[in-house]
Amino acid sequence: MASQTISQPRLALRSVDRSFGPVQVLHGIDIDLRPGEVHALIGENGAGKSTAMKIMTGYLAPTGGTVELDGKPVRFGSSETAEAQGVVLIHQEFNLAEQLTVEENVFLGRELRRGLFLDKAAMRRKTAGWLSELRCRVAPTDRVSDISNPDKQLVEIAKALGRDAKVIVMDEPTAVLTNSEAEALFEQIDRLRSEGAAILFTSHKLDEVKRISDRITVMRDGVVVTTKPTSEMSEDQMAEAMVGRELKDLYPVRRGALSETPALQVEGLTVPGHAEDVSFTLRQGEILGIAGLIGSGRTEAMEGLVGLRRHTGRVRIGGQDATIRTPKEAQELGLVYLTEDRKSRGLVLNMGLRENLTLTSLRQFAKPLLDRRAEEEALTKAIRDFDIRTPARDTLAKNLSGGNQQKLLIAKTMLAEPKIVIIDEPTRGIDIGTKQQIYDFIHRLAAEGTSVIVISSELPEVIGLSDRVLVMRRGRMAGEVAGADKTEDAIVRLAMGLGAASREEEPA
Amino acid sequence: MTKHLMMGAAFSLLAAPVLAQETTVIGVSIPAATHGWAGGMNFHAQEAIDRLEEVYPELDFVLATASDPAKQVSDIEDMVAARGISALVVLPFESEPLTGPVKAIADQGVWVTVVDRGLSEPNIQDLYVAGDNPGFGRVSGEYMVSAMPDGGDIVVLRGIPTTIDNERVEGFQAAIEGSGINILGMEHGNWNRDDSFTVMQDFLSRYPEIDAVWASDDDMAVGVLAAIEAAGRDDIQFVLGGAGMKEMIQRVMDGDTMIPADVTYPPSMIATAIELTAVGVTSSAPVSGTFTIGSVLVTPENAENYYFPDSPF
Amino acid sequence: MTTTTEGGAAPAKARHGVNLHVLGPILALIALVIVGALMNSNFLSAGNVTNVLARSAFIGIIAVGMTFVITAGGLDLSVGSMAAFIAGLMILVMNLALPSMGVGLPVMLLGIATALVAGLVAGWINGILITTMRIEAFIVTLGTMGIYRSLVTWLADGGTLSLDFGLRTALQPLYYSGILGISWPIIVFAIVAIIGEVVMRMTAFGRYCAAIGSNDQVARYSSVNVNRMRLYTYVGLGLLVGIATIMYVPRLGSASSATGVLWELEAIAAVIIGGTVLKGGFGRVWGTVIGVLILSLIGNILNLTDAVSPYLNGAIQGVIIVLAVILQRESKAGD
Repeated sequence: MASQTISQPRLALRSVDRSFGPVQVLHGIDIDLRPGEVHALIGENGAGKSTAMKIMTGYLAPTGGTVELDGKPVRFGSSETAEAQGVVLIHQEFNLAEQLTVEENVFLGRELRRGLFLDKAAMRRKTAGWLSELRCRVAPTDRVSDISNPDKQLVEIAKALGRDAKVIVMDEPTAVLTNSEAEALFEQIDRLRSEGAAILFTSHKLDEVKRISDRITVMRDGVVVTTKPTSEMSEDQMAEAMVGRELKDLYPVRRGALSETPALQVEGLTVPGHAEDVSFTLRQGEILGIAGLIGSGRTEAMEGLVGLRRHTGRVRIGGQDATIRTPKEAQELGLVYLTEDRKSRGLVLNMGLRENLTLTSLRQFAKPLLDRRAEEEALTKAIRDFDIRTPARDTLAKNLSGGNQQKLLIAKTMLAEPKIVIIDEPTRGIDIGTKQQIYDFIHRLAAEGTSVIVISSELPEVIGLSDRVLVMRRGRMAGEVAGADKTEDAIVRLAMGLGAASREEEPA
Repeated sequence: MTKHLMMGAAFSLLAAPVLAQETTVIGVSIPAATHGWAGGMNFHAQEAIDRLEEVYPELDFVLATASDPAKQVSDIEDMVAARGISALVVLPFESEPLTGPVKAIADQGVWVTVVDRGLSEPNIQDLYVAGDNPGFGRVSGEYMVSAMPDGGDIVVLRGIPTTIDNERVEGFQAAIEGSGINILGMEHGNWNRDDSFTVMQDFLSRYPEIDAVWASDDDMAVGVLAAIEAAGRDDIQFVLGGAGMKEMIQRVMDGDTMIPADVTYPPSMIATAIELTAVGVTSSAPVSGTFTIGSVLVTPENAENYYFPDSPF
Repeated sequence: MTTTTEGGAAPAKARHGVNLHVLGPILALIALVIVGALMNSNFLSAGNVTNVLARSAFIGIIAVGMTFVITAGGLDLSVGSMAAFIAGLMILVMNLALPSMGVGLPVMLLGIATALVAGLVAGWINGILITTMRIEAFIVTLGTMGIYRSLVTWLADGGTLSLDFGLRTALQPLYYSGILGISWPIIVFAIVAIIGEVVMRMTAFGRYCAAIGSNDQVARYSSVNVNRMRLYTYVGLGLLVGIATIMYVPRLGSASSATGVLWELEAIAAVIIGGTVLKGGFGRVWGTVIGVLILSLIGNILNLTDAVSPYLNGAIQGVIIVLAVILQRESKAGD
């Protein structure tokens, strides 16, 4: 697909600058999107990708330079003007009206009419058509608030399909999709490309970038580092161009032997409707991975364990029987869960960094009045220890980039000084440099004797990070892999229920 | 209590004899007890119904209290539809919104008695039992003039902005005209003790010298007295309330100099209306027309006649 | 490396906004004071200032509690009726106890205890229905609003409940006297406001309220007992309604169905004028205090002058409420 004849760019940024107050975040960037081409924009969190995309699609105006559409300079006053000219942004955070149905969302603002009335049948039919092309199984009449995140993503894409977009800009479209859902999306991207659309997307998954894009633009610190045909870049070269330095091995190696002392013993954990009869043992200082398809009950089982959901079963912590009814009781026993959903469950986006950092362990700072100075010291320490990069100390959590939000969330969790920490999707939507920092940190934690459970959908991550990997399927423990058997193949087989691949498999 | 019985057309619509075996239902629709006077009115309505149900076994009463005009309209519609009332006694929450619905009922042949607040069209009702609001203001004004023959400076507390309030104040102003009594200020105390307390406090801050207060309502007089007492002011000679609240009547009886008199606007007019309606539907006595209950000045000499210790008001 | 890009907010602009956001209500209050002083020379007299502050105390004490409820993402429409009901109950209990206890401290303490306990229980009922039974706060408190209003009408038999005259004289100092010429309602209001401000800004509870109002899921995942904290806000508000009632009763010595009408809306308006966010997540008690004073001053100034027709009092209050909120919004347009 790559290196075709160079056609005229459909949309181009020419020496675009953008400042927010005194802070300049884009420095003279040039990007051009050509018809019939998929363009990947990659870079670390905070490199300026989102700002560049917002300028392309009319959400932000450049403070310098020009945007060109079909060779002519344009000024999109708003995203609506841009959309009217066929330039659409698909957001990473969904831009859907939760209380409306799928069909109403897809046609929002450009409803089909027959006479005075809405032509519901036609809208439903068309929506159903686009959804089935995307292999999305939700019905046009489903309420958006009732469908899953991957489905919401597909609805967003269906919305763009319905707008006959000439230029489609996608902000991390696959971040919340499973592999098969992502594959369905790529087929759609292929189709749109063959129909002559110009497509730009961002992703932290470099294998996807390799798979789907024709050209790659790498950004770092608000400048374009390089733009090259995909065929001329390996994944390692991409990573190094993003980070600006050579990357050593992504996953650290465990030094020293693993303790045999059990830190957490779980027997017959059942979370009604989600997980049944889950049993496992976590040793002191161990990193235990939990893999499984989305919907296999991994998250729900762990949320049950820490008292966020109703559950039954026997739990022992440090050999002592433990009753955990609320997250507070779990925390008092040294057990803490770090959510996969940092934006709606992990951080209060409208509060400051300090308030977020100390929320879980606020009682430590209440004597009985809150010790503001101690809180500030904790923030200083967290910014240093976890390398949180923030425009200002007193900014709101929503102003941090995704990776730095994740680091803040980890810092917040660790402030509770847990003996056992469960980290759900530790690196979702995070760039490779930050990923490495988080992996290093998890290993340091384990080396200091903290026991860690890592839930992850990314198989290389769960394999590279963990000592053992438990695999869940349909709410039950499907098996366990360790040592040389810890392969992607073995995990996928267990997760899909394709028969025993591991001799260590235990009956559930 | 002087009663001006002004008979209009001396025949009754429902003068036809009613079969004794058949129960006749009379609906009573009044505003809820949201202030003292309305509370007294509710009390008298209930009391009249209890009494009349014993006297007339063939009569059945249905009482509904409404907190707004819309609720009152629904109440009345329900009475007609569900209870098949033959007569309606209504104290309209407001004139305008009730006129249409009540007219519709009257057109169906239901006897209509309107109490206190008239409807916008005067010919709908069979019987109108009315309080005399301009008279209330006039009697109050005349008392003020007689109590302050040399004139003086007064402040006035008004009720909730309504026609009733306007008629009373106009009657009052007409009565004091040329007497040398000067109204320093008028503000709305909304027939409410707390509001009148606040308004009076501010009057006291604003005017260093006040000779008397026309509180125009006994609930408001309570708030006014508390404000004066709290400020420790002794320039105010007396406070004139109105309506005939039992505590105030008692103070008049006891010769309290701050409350030397009161002016009636009896909430018991609802009982009069219900009684006349009962007479109207059970007999052939001619009771239709307009029945005005005048306002009377209560002084230590006649206060005993207006003291009802059992009433909540 | 610049990290502001993803969020897109400009820190410099935000900081500029915060200032106006803070100053808005204060400027409005100062403007009102100046207007009042120009229009009537008695406006700044000790008597008038005492009157305004003392009459602000009822709504003010309730509004401090309301600030916590709203900050935690809740609402309570029942406070006005609740105050009327508690006042009626307090009068009834004291009148009933009078023959056996006589006028004196014990019967006064009994009345005070009645008000406090009734407030706690009423707040607890609201809170339990909202948290444990998971019913919308708006619906629950709309329901209890009607219930308390009816109960007080019923207790008073449609009329007015009056405290025994002797008792009222004994109780009156609770409203009219005080320390060093400052009357009790003002003192209690000040104490409640200061404690409220400290609790909101400097305790874990205040922080939890803001976090819950901002995003209760995050709070739950952060080991905060969301239901219990919400319950505390309603119980606290109930208690404060009780305290306000203790000082309301001695003022006129009576309670009726007209007592406390629309107090809930005044309290909510004061909270919002003060800069607390109606949908929760951010609250400030000092702002609420300013909001209450603004509302009282409008009424006071209108009573002290003839400049405006009294029919327009409500309109002027409305305009000032909306203006105060617009002032704050414009400053926040940056984000």
